[in-house]
Amino acid sequence: MRKLGALLAVSGAMAAFAIGMAGCGDSNSAKEGATLKVSFVAGTDYLDPQLSYTAEGWSSMYNTYLPLLTYAHAEGDAGNEVIPALAEDLPKISDDGKTYELTLRKGLKYSDGKPVKASDFKATVERLFEVESPGLPFFTDIVGAEDFLEGKAKEISGIETSDSTGEITIQLVRPRGPFVSELATPFVAVVPAGTPAKDQTPNPPPATGPYEIVESNPGRSWSYRRNPEWASTNAKLMPDLPSGHVDRIEAKVVSNDSTQVSEIEQGDTHWMFDPLPADRVAEVRARYDGTQYRTVPSNSTYFFWMNTTRPPFDDVKVRQAVNHALDPAALERINAGEITATQQILPPEMPGYEQFELYPHDVKKAEELIAEADPADRDVTVWTLNINPNDDAAAYYQDVLNKLGFDAELKTINANNYFTVIGNTSTPDLDTGWVSFFQDYPHPDDFFRQLDGTNISPVNNINLAQLDDPKLNAKIEELAEQQLGPEQEEEYAELDREFMEQAPWAPYGNRSLSLFVSEDVDFDEVIWSPTFSGDLTSFQFE
Amino acid sequence: MEGSPRRTALRRLRGDRGAIAGLALFAAIVVFVLAAPLWANHVADTGPNATHTTEKVEVDGEPREVVSVEGTPVGPLWLGAGGKFFLGADGRLGRDEMVRLMYGGRTSLFIALTASLIATLSALALALLAGYFRGWVDAVISFLLDVIWGFPVLLLGIALGTALAVGGLDLGPISISAGSVWIPTLIGGFVFASYIARPLRGEVLALREQEFVKAAVAAGASPWRVMLRELLPNLWPTAIVLFTVNVANMMLLEAGLSFLGAGVQAPDASWGTMIAGGFELIFSSPLLMILPSTLIFLTVLSLNLIGDGLGAALNPRSRATIEAHTGRFEPKREAA
Repeated sequence: MRKLGALLAVSGAMAAFAIGMAGCGDSNSAKEGATLKVSFVAGTDYLDPQLSYTAEGWSSMYNTYLPLLTYAHAEGDAGNEVIPALAEDLPKISDDGKTYELTLRKGLKYSDGKPVKASDFKATVERLFEVESPGLPFFTDIVGAEDFLEGKAKEISGIETSDSTGEITIQLVRPRGPFVSELATPFVAVVPAGTPAKDQTPNPPPATGPYEIVESNPGRSWSYRRNPEWASTNAKLMPDLPSGHVDRIEAKVVSNDSTQVSEIEQGDTHWMFDPLPADRVAEVRARYDGTQYRTVPSNSTYFFWMNTTRPPFDDVKVRQAVNHALDPAALERINAGEITATQQILPPEMPGYEQFELYPHDVKKAEELIAEADPADRDVTVWTLNINPNDDAAAYYQDVLNKLGFDAELKTINANNYFTVIGNTSTPDLDTGWVSFFQDYPHPDDFFRQLDGTNISPVNNINLAQLDDPKLNAKIEELAEQQLGPEQEEEYAELDREFMEQAPWAPYGNRSLSLFVSEDVDFDEVIWSPTFSGDLTSFQFE
Repeated sequence: MEGSPRRTALRRLRGDRGAIAGLALFAAIVVFVLAAPLWANHVADTGPNATHTTEKVEVDGEPREVVSVEGTPVGPLWLGAGGKFFLGADGRLGRDEMVRLMYGGRTSLFIALTASLIATLSALALALLAGYFRGWVDAVISFLLDVIWGFPVLLLGIALGTALAVGGLDLGPISISAGSVWIPTLIGGFVFASYIARPLRGEVLALREQEFVKAAVAAGASPWRVMLRELLPNLWPTAIVLFTVNVANMMLLEAGLSFLGAGVQAPDASWGTMIAGGFELIFSSPLLMILPSTLIFLTVLSLNLIGDGLGAALNPRSRATIEAHTGRFEPKREAA
């Protein structure tokens, strides 16, 4: 979540998105058409591809706003494959790894009927910088991007486009291993040039994918219909992308996840985005496992960040003590057994993962470290959001801190605003807090950039620990310039350990998610994307 | 022969079985919540916010997990564990439900009583100023009261609570942190002041025309003396009745605000936050929601009975008038 937010929200069983068949009389009997009703516990952060950085937002826009490249609509590893979307093919990369050449497919149209131009891509990337997107750090290696960001240049010189040929050339200041994956993120999903450089959530831009968003009530509901240009134009030009089965999709926020479960059982909602509430898991598993319910793995890390720039967490011994004090068994129970304990940055399925345990649960050791550190400032604010069980996890964390001798205060923020608040470095008392991170793309750099000191920004900050270790920053940069291979994976494993020796986070779990759909949904056809969760184009009715 | 008005009121109150039952019930609730430290320290051996997620408790010689691996909290153990987890654990954090219920009641009652006191005292002051001075003073105060009155109580409370939930309140010398119980307390006091001030103002306007007030003014008494010595004593009966009714309303507002996250902040317990927590586990542990809800119901019931009884005892004519208008009460003629 960072793409946190979203699933985080999840994390507990929070959300709901109901999909339903709606509408049209006996629509449920038709395999095609009808209306899918989906529920979320928390709304999306934005319905603006350049701004959204939550799992809710990405899942909601996966089939609406297409980048030049995208991820295959498939489960597991197959879903990690990058494929062409608006571009004709994967990029041609120069030998020095600094030049990417792509060509826009000819004839593509936005849902408002206007043509998609190669120059729109450049405008999109510039808009990304203008709105100070949380995805901005992925693209600062483009030549001229820093100057554009600082207002020294009126355009990003490293992107050249030709509307007549559709050619797009991207120049990087240095090679960047994950750049192909980054080009497949929604941050660079193409929107028309001239789209205002401010949040467009209330009036989302025209779409290029199979669906367009036709109604948006931020924080409450949003809905889609088929892109009128899709079947006649874009689908023929992008045959590898699915067209979806339903005609309309209605998404709504239902803050009570138990209500969502009941609505799915009654057929009023077709899919809930978030995991099941803990107290319904056993019941749902017993009744629907394999027919309407299954667990799905996720590349995620749940953790407590500690602000390394403020006392008492500016002392590494304090941060290490926190890691020792947290009891993985307690956090596993708080998450109803749906997390697997960890003490690492990288999740197990991520390339470069090698298991280690630097901080076995040892309260006595934690107390010794605190005694050695003897922090003068023991007033601590613990931040969390109002989604269960993440709020419970934070309450447990607060209790742990108090038992270590701190005076910890819990501050619970509405999930819709949580990441905006804690991502603003001027927010007072940003000491420590809860967060989860789900992969943006299957590359370890994605996780380490959350700890890259060069990514600390005043707003939409992703480095919540505000760790700025020049040596580790340089190593992140060095590895990011290389294509991922066995040697790099070993380096990433070492980097994982080096970061955890600094202990900017107290990781506690890797989350299993769940897919739960109503009886009339064709359960076996639903695709769970490793990056975008439930793939809305895969839902169809039996 | 009747005694002083106070004795008369007490006699009437003693004869009101509903009010006596309300008083007894409220007293029992107060004793229950005041006993929280005793129960926590000598029986349950834990605090209201202490977590016990991975701990085990011995029940009749057998160890039982406070929270199962699947996250289900232990149910009521009654005295099976020597009073520990008497009403079970409150959820996946494994906190003692009985202890939280008692401490939560203290929080809820503190907020309700303090907020009502603030609302009543400020309403008395505003009513006296508006009713005595009339003119532009009355116009300004009445306008402000009407503005507050114009907002639904819960919506206004949520708006204020949400706004203050992150940054707290910082008004010159007054600084209150975001998690403080004083936030919902002051919100309640502010929101309900207008509901008390408006009827009191009307009463002051009526009293202002009474002979004894005119006599005091003619005798050269200062406005403050007239307000404090002549008008205020005549407002107490109404104010006391409105206070008790307002405590009940404030209990409900606090519960609503806390349920919606705009009142008492986690991990502190109030009956409102406990209902919110229990709501999440309503399918597996319904008692977690039923218990605080029941206590709120009983408290509000007792306060309404007390308020009703006080109203009849302190100001029987107003009751007779109101009930005669509604056809519920036939005024009895006093024996000659």
